[in-house]
This record gives sequence, C-alpha cells and structure tokens, in this order.
Amino acid sequence: MNSNIWVLTSANAVTIATTLILAALGALFTERAGVLNLGVEGILLTSAISSFLAADSSGSIWVGLAVGAAVGALLAGVHATLTVVLRANQIVSGLALVIFGTGLANFLGKPAEGKTVATIIKPMTFGPLTRIPVLGPIVFEHDIITYGTIALAIGSAWYLFRTRPGLELRAVGDDPATVDAQGLSVARIRIRYTLLGGALIGLGGSWLMLAQSAAWHQAATTNGIGWIALALVVFAGWHPVRLIFGAVLFGFCLRLPFTLQAEQITFIPSAFMQMLPYVATLIALIALSRPGSKNLRGAPKSLGNPFVRDER
Amino acid sequence: MTNTSHEVVKGPHHSGDAAPIALSAHSITKRFPGVLANDSVDFDVRTGEVHTLLGENGAGKSTLAAMLCGLYQPDSGYLLRNGQQISLSSPRAGLQHGIAMVHQHFRLVERFSVAENVVLGSRNLSFTLNRKSIDEKVAAVAESYGLPIDPSAIVGDLSVGQRQRVEIVKALYQGAEILLLDEPTAVLVPAEVEKLFENVHAMTAAGKSIVFISHKLGEVVEISDRVTVLRGGRVTGHVSGRGSTDTKELARLMVGRDINLSTQRASHATGHEVLQIREVSLKSEGVDILSHITFNVHEGEMVGIAGVAGNGQRELADTIAGLISPTTGTISIGGNMTTDRGPIAAREHGLAYVPEDRLGMGLVPSMSILDNLLLTRDRHIVVDRASVRPEANRLIEQFEIKANDADHVARKLSGGNAQKVLLARELSGGRAATKLLVVCSPTRGLDVGAIETVRRLLDDARSAGQAILLISEDLDEIMSLADRILVLYRGAIVHETKGEAAQLATVGAAMAGLNTEGAA
Amino acid sequence: MRAPFRIIFEQRSDTPKYLTALVPLVSVFAALAAGAIFLMSTGYSVSETYSNMLQDGFLSSRGITDTLGLSTVLICMGVSAAFAFQMNLYNIGGEGQGYLGMIGGAWAGLALGPHLPSAIMIPALLVIGAAFGAAWIFIPAFVRARLGTSETVTTLLLTYVAASLVNHFIYTPNSYFRAPDVTFPMGRTVPDSAKLTAIGDTRMYPTFFIVVALAIFLYWLVKRTEFGYRIQVISDSPKAAHYAGINSRRTTMQVMLISGALAGLGGATLIVGEFGKLDPGITMLGYGYAGIVIAALARNNFAAIIVSGILFSGLRVGGDKLQITTSTPIHIGVMLQGAILLFALGGEAFRRYKIRAVRMQAVAQ
Repeated sequence: MNSNIWVLTSANAVTIATTLILAALGALFTERAGVLNLGVEGILLTSAISSFLAADSSGSIWVGLAVGAAVGALLAGVHATLTVVLRANQIVSGLALVIFGTGLANFLGKPAEGKTVATIIKPMTFGPLTRIPVLGPIVFEHDIITYGTIALAIGSAWYLFRTRPGLELRAVGDDPATVDAQGLSVARIRIRYTLLGGALIGLGGSWLMLAQSAAWHQAATTNGIGWIALALVVFAGWHPVRLIFGAVLFGFCLRLPFTLQAEQITFIPSAFMQMLPYVATLIALIALSRPGSKNLRGAPKSLGNPFVRDER
Repeated sequence: MTNTSHEVVKGPHHSGDAAPIALSAHSITKRFPGVLANDSVDFDVRTGEVHTLLGENGAGKSTLAAMLCGLYQPDSGYLLRNGQQISLSSPRAGLQHGIAMVHQHFRLVERFSVAENVVLGSRNLSFTLNRKSIDEKVAAVAESYGLPIDPSAIVGDLSVGQRQRVEIVKALYQGAEILLLDEPTAVLVPAEVEKLFENVHAMTAAGKSIVFISHKLGEVVEISDRVTVLRGGRVTGHVSGRGSTDTKELARLMVGRDINLSTQRASHATGHEVLQIREVSLKSEGVDILSHITFNVHEGEMVGIAGVAGNGQRELADTIAGLISPTTGTISIGGNMTTDRGPIAAREHGLAYVPEDRLGMGLVPSMSILDNLLLTRDRHIVVDRASVRPEANRLIEQFEIKANDADHVARKLSGGNAQKVLLARELSGGRAATKLLVVCSPTRGLDVGAIETVRRLLDDARSAGQAILLISEDLDEIMSLADRILVLYRGAIVHETKGEAAQLATVGAAMAGLNTEGAA
Repeated sequence: MRAPFRIIFEQRSDTPKYLTALVPLVSVFAALAAGAIFLMSTGYSVSETYSNMLQDGFLSSRGITDTLGLSTVLICMGVSAAFAFQMNLYNIGGEGQGYLGMIGGAWAGLALGPHLPSAIMIPALLVIGAAFGAAWIFIPAFVRARLGTSETVTTLLLTYVAASLVNHFIYTPNSYFRAPDVTFPMGRTVPDSAKLTAIGDTRMYPTFFIVVALAIFLYWLVKRTEFGYRIQVISDSPKAAHYAGINSRRTTMQVMLISGALAGLGGATLIVGEFGKLDPGITMLGYGYAGIVIAALARNNFAAIIVSGILFSGLRVGGDKLQITTSTPIHIGVMLQGAILLFALGGEAFRRYKIRAVRMQAVAQ
C-alpha cells in the first residue's frame, strides 16, 4: 500500500477540519450562550453559495469570504430573533433554518451549477519545511485560513476562560437568571454570540467553497458537515481546543472513502465507506452519553431553554 | 379594606438622633395581570438601620423590594435616594445607586468559583481576568465585614449558609450601601440565622442600610429597628422594632384578623404500625444520601421529619413512595413489602404522596383538574373521563377548591388551590384506600388562609386514623403539628423527640448537626 | 433610560381560539409576501410564479388531484414528525426512515413474488415498509430512552446513512433492487399485484384515504386513550410521570418506534403508488423534511396536519411545475416551506403572549 496516500489523507483531513472547526466553533459560541442552533447545515450551504457568487462576480476570494460570513450572521440573526426575542422553540427554529437555507442556497445556486471559481485560496509556502517527509505535507501545506482557524480556536479558549466577556458568556449559558440579576442583558449577550457563531459558520461554508470544492454541487456541497460539526461540539465537551483534535479525527473519516477509492480497495462497497463519517459520529455521540461521561458535564446548563424573567 | 395605617414609631433605636433617610419610596403602585401587587405604598430606610418589610406570602413585599432594586418598574410613584429622585430601569441602575438585592433563591453560577461569582457583572473589571488578584480583592472585602469565605471554592460545593454569604459579599463588592435581604432566614438553621444577624449588625455598624424581608414574627422583632407591615399590597402599619413590639399586634396587622395556626395535638390513640422502615440506606455515585434509616409510623400518628433542605428529605419521601429503590434496607406499608416494587405497588397498599413540587411533580400543569385526578388512579385503555367527573365535582366542592369546573387547568390554580387539588386526590384514595400519607412542605408559599385549611385537612386525616409522615423545613410547622419529631441530618436520623416535649434549641442544634444526643 | 420603549411579553392566560387558526394562516401569507420580495429582488416575475403555482397546485383539476396524491406521503411524514414532537422527541430523520420504508416495501414486493393476490401484497408492502422505518429509528430510540442521547442529531445522521444505502442498492451492479437489462442504474419494478391503481385519470391512490383515516385515528388515540394520556403527562412534566409510575423509557421507545413506522409507511405508499420501485431520485425529494414543517405548522395536531399537508403538497406540486411553466427555479417551493415555518414560529409568540411596547416612565407621578 502506498504510504503517500495515507499522508495525503491526513493532510486532507487537516484541510477539511478547517470547515469543521469553524462551524463547530460557531456552534460552540452559540451554545455557550445557551442557544442551540441546529441550522448549521443550512447556514453552511447558503454562505457557501453566497461566497461563490460574490467571489465570482468580484474576482476576489476575500470579498467572497466576507460575504459568506455576513450571510451566516444574517441567517443566525433570524434564529436569534425567533428564539431569543420571540422565545420560539430553538430546535424547530434551527430545523426551519436548515430547510430554508437549503432551499435558498439551491435557488441562488441555480445559475452556478457546475461552475468553478477562477481563483481559489492558495496554500502557504514554508520552503524546506514542506519537504519534511510525512510531517511536511500534513502540517506545512495549508492556506492561511487553516492556520488562522487553529489559532482562532486556541484564542477562543483563552477568551472563554480568561477574560471578563468570556466569564459573562459562560454565565449566560449556565444561569441566565443570575446574569440578569447582575443587570446584564441576557438577550443582548445571546444575540451577540448567536450572530458571531453564524459568522464563523458562514466563514466555514465560504472557505469550503473557495478553497475546497470550488464547484457548486447543491446540497451535496456540504453533505452533512453541519450536523457533524454539531456532534463535534459535544465530542469536545464545549472546549474550543479539543475541537481541533476532534475535527481532524472526523476529517479523516470524511476523507477516507476517497482514499480507499483511489487505492482501489473495493472489498468494502464505496457506499458503506461513504457512511463512515456519519456512523462514526453516531457512535461517538452514543459513547459520550454513557453514564458517567465527563464530556456532557461541559454542557451549558440552560442550553436550549429560552430565558424568561420570572414576572409572576 | 380601609387604610388603617398605624403609626407607633418611637424613633430609631441605636442612633440617638435620626439618621438621614437613605432611600424612600412614595405612593408606589404596581399591577400584574389580575393582581394589584402594590397599592400606593410608602416606605423608607435610614442609613445604618434595619427596616423590615413584614407580610405574608402574596402581600406584595417581594414586589416592592424588586422595585426598590430596579428589577421591576412601578406603574406609578417614585423613589428618592438621599433626597434625590431616581429612576431605576434595571438592577444595574439600582447598583449604580448603591442598592442591591440578595434573592431568596440565590443567583449564583454553581460551576464558578466564589470570586468569579462575586466579580460577575462588575464594571470595574479589566478585560483579562487575573484569578489571583480577583481572589485577593474578594477576600479583602469579605474580611472587612467579618464574612469569612474562600474565594477559590466552587459555589456548587458550598452549603446554603455559605452561599448566602457569597451573595452578601457580592453586593458589598459592587459597592452596595443598601442591601435588600429577601427572606434570608427561610433556608437557614437557627445557628446560621444567628450568624447572619451578627453579619447584619456588622454591616449596619459600618453604615449600610438593610431592608429585611420576612414573614417570621419572632426574628423580625429581634433584628429590626423599624417594621412596615404589608397586607394585600397595602401598608397596614409602621411599627418600631427591637423587642418593643407586641408580636400579636404584628400578626393582626399582617393577617387582618386573629389567627390560630396551632392545631390541637390531642393524645390520639395510635394503632398499628402502617409504615415500617428498616435500615434503609441510599447511595448515589458513592455518596451516602440516606444511611441506616429505621422508624415506624402508626395509624392516627403524625411523624414530623425536620431538617435543613438537602439532607435527604426528598430522597426519603421518594424512597417510601417507591420512586427510588434503596441501596439496602426494607420498606413496608400496611404490612406489605413495597421495597423495589415501584410507585404503583406502594399505592396499591395504601400510600398517598404529596410531593414538595406541587405543580410539575404532583400535578401536571397543562392538564385539567379532572385529568390530574386520574394521574395516580387506574385508567383503562380508553380513558373514561365521564365516569370520573361526578367525583371530581364532589371533591372540588368538599375541598373548597376555587375553580370554574373540573376542566380548570392546573397551571391556572393559585398555590393554595393547587395544594388542595393535590390533597383531595391523595386523601380520597385511588388504587386503594389511603392508609399512609407522605406529605412534603405542605404549606410552603401559601397564604395564611390556605395554611389553616391545609393543616386542618392533615389534622382531620390523622383523626380519621391515617398515618402521616410530615416532611418540612419549616420547623415551627413541625413543632406545632407532629406527634413525634425526627431530625434528619446528612441522611441520618440524629435526633428523636416527642412533639409536645420538643425544644426549639435542641431540635435546631440537631438540624445543624451539632447535637446527636437522643439519636434514634 | 436608554431605550424610550420596552417590549413587554405578557403571558396569555387564555389563548383566543381564533388566534390558533389565524397565526398559521398569517404565517403562510407572510412567507408568500417575503418570497415575493425575494423573487422581485432576484429578477423573477412574482405574479407569473405565484399564479402558476396556484393554478398548478390547487385550481386546475389536474393540479388539485396531483396535490391530493402527493399529500398522501406528506401527511404521513407530518404525522410521523408530530407523533414524536408531541412528546418533545425531535425525530428529524423521517426522511431516512422513509427511505427505509421504500427499501422495505420494494423488498417485500420483489420477494413475495408475483403470485400472491393484491389483497395480501398491498398490506404486506405497507406493513413491512413501516417495520423497516421503525427498525431504522431503533438505535436512536434505544439510546435516547436508555442513555438520554439527543435524538435530533442521531436521527438526522442516519438519514445520510440511509441515502448511501439507497444508492448502494441501485448503483451496485447485479443488486437485488436494480433493474436488470438496463444499462443505466434504475430500480426494479415490483409486480403489478403489489401496486394500487390510481383513482380514475389522476395520480391519486387509495392510500390517501388510508392515511387520512390514520391521522384521524391518531388524533383519537392521543386525546382519548391511556397511551395518549401517558404521552401528555410525559411531554408536559417528566417528573410527574415518574411520580405516577409511568414508564417514560418504555413510552419514549414506543413513541419513537411509531414515529419511525409512520415515516416508513409514508415511504411504502410511494412503492405501492406512484413509483413502484426503489428509485435513486427519491433521495432528492425531501418529503421527510417537509413533514417536519407540516407538523410544526399544524402544531402537532393530527387533524390539522391533514390540512397543512394538503397545503404544502399544493406548494410542492405548483412549485415543481414552475420548471416547465416559468424560468423560476423550483427551489422557491422549498424556500417557501422554510419561510412559512420561520414565520409560524415567530407567530407563536403572538399566540402565547400579548406583546406590547410600553413607554418607559422616566419618573411617573
């Protein structure tokens, strides 16, 4: 068996992990504020096609990324309005966003079907470092967004656990009544982080489009990555740094079918290999909910509950 | 009710001349849907004094306090702080004027450390958090008022009394000059109450003003410089405090008539053992919740379980009711083993259970009274509501439940009426005639009228020969009702005494784990 | 001090009956209005799009019968979603369970062979389809009941697995489900005895009446039986259920399995009806997702699902024909679905609360 193939798979896993980390980080900030946004898949799709169209018409991938993030924040804003302001059911609202986002993305993407973007985000060059066997391609052949994302995840952990706004954010997710009694606006904090989360998810979708697939395949463009990102947050116990490792692991599962196909390993039917990431995620979720699991203790205590000040 | 304002003010006690008024409220009115919570209420507190708001549940004292600290806004009326008119749009605005509330239900993030909780929401906090410097600052503030706390302890691990101290430190740290303490003693054992009162004195000596909210006459007389009595949203009297006040007079102002909450503890002829608990222990995740509990309850006997919340009372009740299986030990009801058999088996042998959590455990909030009656009864495959309706109507009448009809939704019942529905269902038997009634905090949060009714119903049940296990954190209630008192501390029975022989000091000490003599 | 107005949410003690009907109705129109703005801004004709959708979905005789025909599977998916939702179990994998229903139905049709009479074949296909749907939700149901694993993500993930399974059965050479003698991948058609005939000259099948009757039966089941009573207690207050000795785990399992079975049944109606075979195109249709919207719009009321199912069916039928009649992308149909749900969710607030803006009194006297 060609060992290069495995190195390539690992390198690709790190690459695909970028979208997973960005999307999961967005979900994590949202959930840390106590808001569950199941609409990740819908946001990913809509921001992917928006960034595609923006990059295509402007000729700049940076415009594409910015538009994608903005669209993500916009859709998250719909979710925030419904769940935080109007106190709608967070689960159903998130699902509505998936359905709406999928329809919207397909609608907008009609003229883009099969087209590719002219310029894509290019990997950075580290000169001789890239030529280190195995490690070189896995660690040193990515674009700036990938490195930026990893730095962002680490920075998020610092923000969450070592700063004043981080303290307030965690408090809102755990015990909004306490934050309210302190005179801080629960709604404002929740809306702020839902929007930020949406922008991060949107960035993830844009990057997926502009650096990865670079061609629009409708809903198959994301193919369930949004749902895996949601599971990843649980897997990481709501800790940003642990997201990185989880994302690479899930990224490997996502890339493996392609590798095996390329290697012409056919004793496992390809359809079953395509199931792998979803099945792996499923197994991880089940394993994490076994009694005594430490991961779930990181869950924000008021996750999914609208905050209503007790006014008799 | 006419305004029978009662001016008996004799002036503040410990400061010879009147200290300046720190905060005053003038003709405050607040309306909630269907309720006039405050009706042109006047109130003021001076620098360095304790001014108590006295009133029964629903009298409007918490609503008034909420407006004093900015949580609610009055519909009309105004506030003066040091003589200047102020408007508080939020608790944060209240804090800016040095007003802070210590809530009855603590507002603390359990997963955070003491120091993190204290600084949460504070404005003079840098962007990055330096744990060590925060810990030091918090400890310094706490010590200056003689309130020892460990700033790095996790709040979830603290006792109720310690948490209350964290709340007070938090208010002081944020620069509170006026502290509103909402029913601060409701959750404390007598020893902790004394400690709290010491802290209150330390704070007033340092020039802080305390608004003390309570419905317990004894402590009000002990701690207050002045007392304002509220009833039905109106002020019914301003009285001076500190021992000079007649508690009977306060009670009359509070309730509007003479009341008698003490029941006749006639020497009932007690019969067979209905409930037998033998060596019951319960472990959860390696922690002992209950250990070696053994006692009986006889026909026509009311046994009271006293203790501070969280010492295993709820688990004991749930275990007897078959909701939890004990780790070891046996339970039998009417001579039938019910250990590990589940709640339905327990009920089939005559158990009735009124849990502490009325709406949400005892009653299903969104269901009608009729459907709630069916909750603990045998329902056939197709629910036959028509045949239950006559009984529902009869019970509504018999228990004087204020409801339109049997289709009245439980959520819309008042606390007292919800409790009556629950008692009506449990006392009228379901799967079997009721032999044993387990009842938890039956009068918590009810107004005096409802308390009287509920206590009468329990008394009647005892007279009718039912065995009653009364579990309550309200020591006065247990002392005045129970034939026999057991004290539960950290899951074990540490004290047992006859009801009429019970001494408040001894039982209180046992509740605090200080005294184990007389242990069962 | 900052904001001169404050929005007050006042919980309604009694919700006026008319609001319960008005809110979904207004949400539909609001979504259509939002869709119109969107169409205009993207350069498509609003009047042409909507009039064609209305004509082809509801007003023409072809349109309305197509709508009723498609509503069969949509109502089924709607009751499947609602059955779980009413107990706060968010089975959002009806789509995948529907695929399994089709696999099960197609397998039964092919395996039971051409010689059995329709009177046996048709019920067998429907029952086996339902059983496959139930089997597909078994793991999420079991771990939800036992470990408390959130069913939302698990059911959804299995939809992707189910889609791969369908593709596998159709694209693999010599697959049992694949039509032989055809070079391009296509499902093998079940025998005629396993297929219902359409009513008259329409695309409506008798399964429509079965599904409507089923929805009404479920309505009765929830309102009148001990099983429904249990569901109501658990959904409102799990603690009260525990107190009353109601076995929440078992009920959770039962409700989720029934939800999966209903979705499977929806899939199987396509086999005995319009499709007659396992088809790769089914994974693009999203009927299961539509069921979520239908259930939410009907607020999990099984009788109301019949109405909202037909409404959505009309939107789909009208939307799908846009491809032929106009240049508007057919995806406007799905977008409108999502938009209706979003507006309905927002509208819920107006049903539950009296919302008013109050002037902040700086200082009142």
